[in-house]
Amino acid sequence: MGLEIDRERIPGFDVEGKDADGMDKGILTLSVGPQHPGSGHFRLIVKVDGDIIVEALPDPGYVHRGEEKMCEYRNYIQNIPHLERPMIADSCGILYPYVLAVEEICNIPVPERAKYIRVIMAELNRCIFELYWLGIYGIFLGHSTMFMWPMADRELLIDLAEMASGARVTHAYFVPGGVRNDVPDAFPEKAKRHLLYFRNRLKEYKDIFYDNPLFQARTVGVGILRREDAINLGATGPVLRASGVEHDIRKVEPYDVYDELDFKVITMNEGDSFARAYVPWLEMYESVEIALQALERMPSGPVRTKLGPNPKGAVGEVFKRVEAARGELAYYLVSDGNPKPYRVKLSVPSFREIPVMAHLLKGAKLADMPSIYWSMNYWPVEADR
Amino acid sequence: MLRELLSPKRESSRGALDGERPANFNILVGKLSEVLVKAIDKPLGYAINWGRLWSLWPVHLETACCSLEFGAASGPRYDVERFGIIEAFGSLRQCDLMVIQGTVTRKMAPRVRMIYDQMPEPKYVIAMGACAITGGLYFDSYNVLPGIDGVIPVDVYVPGCPPRPETLIQGCILLQEKIKRTRFR
Repeated sequence: MGLEIDRERIPGFDVEGKDADGMDKGILTLSVGPQHPGSGHFRLIVKVDGDIIVEALPDPGYVHRGEEKMCEYRNYIQNIPHLERPMIADSCGILYPYVLAVEEICNIPVPERAKYIRVIMAELNRCIFELYWLGIYGIFLGHSTMFMWPMADRELLIDLAEMASGARVTHAYFVPGGVRNDVPDAFPEKAKRHLLYFRNRLKEYKDIFYDNPLFQARTVGVGILRREDAINLGATGPVLRASGVEHDIRKVEPYDVYDELDFKVITMNEGDSFARAYVPWLEMYESVEIALQALERMPSGPVRTKLGPNPKGAVGEVFKRVEAARGELAYYLVSDGNPKPYRVKLSVPSFREIPVMAHLLKGAKLADMPSIYWSMNYWPVEADR
Repeated sequence: MLRELLSPKRESSRGALDGERPANFNILVGKLSEVLVKAIDKPLGYAINWGRLWSLWPVHLETACCSLEFGAASGPRYDVERFGIIEAFGSLRQCDLMVIQGTVTRKMAPRVRMIYDQMPEPKYVIAMGACAITGGLYFDSYNVLPGIDGVIPVDVYVPGCPPRPETLIQGCILLQEKIKRTRFR
């Protein structure tokens, strides 16, 4: 594959237009990214009038790898490893709806123990993602301690996930018909110990980060997303819940064993960047609760239904959605009776935050851009697929 | 030898400065520089390489999901900063290391090249992850390059999907070994 490096001119610092008197309007077009001091391979073209952003045009697609097309020439099992790559910080979360969809279309039963193990792993992965996200948010706003602490605590949870699945971040642990292997005998005890330590540790985050006047000065009242805007623009996950909408797929459309577990949906009414950073922190408490409950109730038995080498799907279509760490994650899967899916469509939460981001950046200060951008729970690899 | 050449009793060589015997003067300058290079090259080169070796600053450019393990490598458990490597450095004008963190797509490749061209010499490249080496899992995708080495020269390949932070640190140590043995320019 030959690649012509085309040295196109990326618009940089252009003054736009003149008004009726022949004076410059003073609207500057700035290109932020894809290499920028923040994080992510994502470009924003912002037009600024002085310090105020007049318009923000997101430019995603730097990591578009054609996941959906690749699904069409691999069979159902072969699709597992590459489908978790868009979001390796939350690899169980992104694989969960795919596995549910394949189980429905191929009519595969799931053992009871596997359902509990899946819930535990999904909640561990939710914490792993939120911690990474929080760490980057900390360093985004110049708070290095908040990068180091979540990164250190994240390793404890990664140890648990590694113990169960054998890989640090790309577990490929969920398979149609259960999970790939049973957890080791020492897993429940170690998981309880680590989760209880982690719950105590979470309290300290409030002292150093959320009560920090510098963090509050940069986030409180910044980028307020009203309730009706959040619904109309299609925000999901913590962004939606921070605007006061009580919507969680784990409650609305319970999958596996979430309906048997006791947890609450966290909402806040402020809808600003602070609320969007605070809701995931409160959700981590709930995740720990869910994981501890699931560890208590986990029955013994098999963890995987034996499958033939190439499971075939029935002719038809299936739509499955779960609550991943960033919000509602859905798969639409069409099968024509072959061992390979006819069409796989991912609806990822990160992509749904792009219009919300453009809406919030309009009228905000340029200096508030990092705090709004990263509070969106936006993950470019996942959004581009 | 140096003292001999510069000593005042060699009257004839003084004439060279007035252009009488330019050939001799050239020999003088050539020998002088040879002596100086021989005297300075080794310690100075060692010092410069030592400085480069322990302050590899990577440019903050992410291309795909390996950036997660890059972030973990600079976390407290792995702490790549002990080897003088700072993560997430914003300005590419002060950077000398580029870690290609995963898949490079057709849209990203020109930008990667542009950023590489803007970095000052000397610069080193680590290709991190299977995608940056050969395309990895996405070898048959329509939008993914089969490896970054067609776009920019690569010094060290770090395999894995994604590589564990230990593997990345091993790659950095290999790069440091390479710099140590390179004759400075």
